[in-house]
Amino acid sequence: MKKGSLWSWFWVALGAIYLLLPLTGTFIFSLRAKKDTLSFVAYQNAFSDPKFLESFGFSVLMALLTIIVSLLITVPTAYWVQLRLPRLRPVVELLTLLPFVIPAVVLVFGLIRIYSRPPLALTGSSFTSNILLIAGYTVLSLPYMYRAVDNGLRTIDIRTLTEAAQSLGAGWPTIILQVIFPNLRGALLSGAFLTFAIVIGELVLAAFLARPAFGPYLALLGQNRAYEPAALAIVSFALTWACVGLIQFLGRGKTDRDRGLAGPG
Amino acid sequence: MTFLELTNIRKDFGPVTAVDAFNLQVTGGEFISFLGPSGCGKTTTLRMIAGFEKPTAGQIKIGNNDVTFAPPNQRNIGMVFQSYALFPNMTVAGNIGFGLKIAGTPQNDIKQRVDEMLALIHLPNFGDRYPYQLSGGQQQRVALARALAIRPQLLLLDEPLSALDAKIRLELRSEIRRIQQELGITTIYVTHDQEEALSLSDRIVVMNKGKVEQVGTPFEIYNYPQTQFVASFVGMLNQLHCTVANAAQGVLLYQNQPINTGAALAYADGTAVNVLLRPEELHFGNGHGDNQLTGRIETVSFLGATVRVQLNIGDTTLTMDVQNERQLELPRAGQTQVVSFPPHACWVMSHNGSGQ
Repeated sequence: MKKGSLWSWFWVALGAIYLLLPLTGTFIFSLRAKKDTLSFVAYQNAFSDPKFLESFGFSVLMALLTIIVSLLITVPTAYWVQLRLPRLRPVVELLTLLPFVIPAVVLVFGLIRIYSRPPLALTGSSFTSNILLIAGYTVLSLPYMYRAVDNGLRTIDIRTLTEAAQSLGAGWPTIILQVIFPNLRGALLSGAFLTFAIVIGELVLAAFLARPAFGPYLALLGQNRAYEPAALAIVSFALTWACVGLIQFLGRGKTDRDRGLAGPG
Repeated sequence: MTFLELTNIRKDFGPVTAVDAFNLQVTGGEFISFLGPSGCGKTTTLRMIAGFEKPTAGQIKIGNNDVTFAPPNQRNIGMVFQSYALFPNMTVAGNIGFGLKIAGTPQNDIKQRVDEMLALIHLPNFGDRYPYQLSGGQQQRVALARALAIRPQLLLLDEPLSALDAKIRLELRSEIRRIQQELGITTIYVTHDQEEALSLSDRIVVMNKGKVEQVGTPFEIYNYPQTQFVASFVGMLNQLHCTVANAAQGVLLYQNQPINTGAALAYADGTAVNVLLRPEELHFGNGHGDNQLTGRIETVSFLGATVRVQLNIGDTTLTMDVQNERQLELPRAGQTQVVSFPPHACWVMSHNGSGQ
């Protein structure tokens, strides 16, 4: 092996150790629930808690609804900005990056302040609180979803595809549903999985809006138990890696980039 | 009978006028090319005919309908783009049938029409392939089939061959013309490649800086250019700065040497004019016409079928194209050479650019 690649492997190994050591530690710790042996008891306990399924199921539902709302907002917006309002693009990009700048706790306090009293009292019931939660999640995931959609749109020449469809007699709904959406499949899935990962692990919004989500459940568990939170932390990691793996898988080979974007040069 | 009519079309983008005073009448079934350099307004005009841009002033009529402000999806036009613009998520058959599907055509009719189109473009078994599986030339043929499948009243092509390599370009060029003549469809073709325009068109509209310079058949454009721009843009050109010596007899003076143009001139004696000569009208030796010039050969380029010679005759360098023959003795640089040309090869143009 050449000296150069030996060094590369060294740094990769160092980075891997840095990341994997704490994880390994957590994993081993999660196996020690039963005294003096390694077992999956902590995992069994965690999964057998009815609240686990309840909170996880709730978060999954919120994630799916957030994805749908987010798609319905970002895809037409990004499409219209790219097609007709290119000068607005920097403004819109800045807007979508704001959630990075504003901490979630500020966001949720803002939501509570505005929506906890008439005429917009939405914090009173579960149903309306869930709406607030989805709205908050949509904002949190906006940078990722918008970036994914925007990048997806840039890799296809939407202006020419739109004009081609129009010259063949298509109206706007047909263009968006039959030309734009199908060609953004990979980008939309990437955005969706990122949103999913964010919502599943999110704590602040759910806690302050008092919703029975997975994040607060994990936090509560961490205050009372030792091994089960470690087990669930590993499960969280595994889930996130699965999402990322899926994005990777969908991002290579026969997807948008290799498939139809065979235009000239 | 006029099928497409553009009257006084103007297009402004803010303070910039991209197209001005554009007038054109196209007969049904005609193949018209818009030819000009980048930025001359040819694509903008095409896009106005398609409906993707709205004219600032003027009127566009297709058939007898005023479509000036009609949206593009209501004009029944077929458009072929430089970047093919095939829908990546649909098969070739799906692409070709797209317009018919939107129009609500029954499934069987769509299949029949798609098969017809595939046969027309000589790609009969390609229906199930996706665009990414096709070469550039094949993609452009599918794009053409897609545009024609809906039986449009007008076919618009925006530099469709620019992205293809030279050999494919030649093949596809004749394919396009063959299909256009077979279907008899009125066609507007935008290009900056003069060879394409000259070989394909019934008439050419030469444009420069948003204005029409000349409209005519390829032969007229090449041999009887009406403006300086058309003369120098289309084909190679030699220019001699002359003065009119005897207008009635068509005699000019080039550096105290008489040039006989063979016909009376509509300029006063003493006017400064340019004589335009095409490279292929100049010949070696003194046996090819009254007019003779002597010069020193600067370069000789063997291009295959043509030998291109640069000849320095004093205040200017002439470009000559001599047809290749196997027994041709190639001239050498530095040699003195006499060239001659007949009177009818002279195209006289005034200094401000109008020709006769």
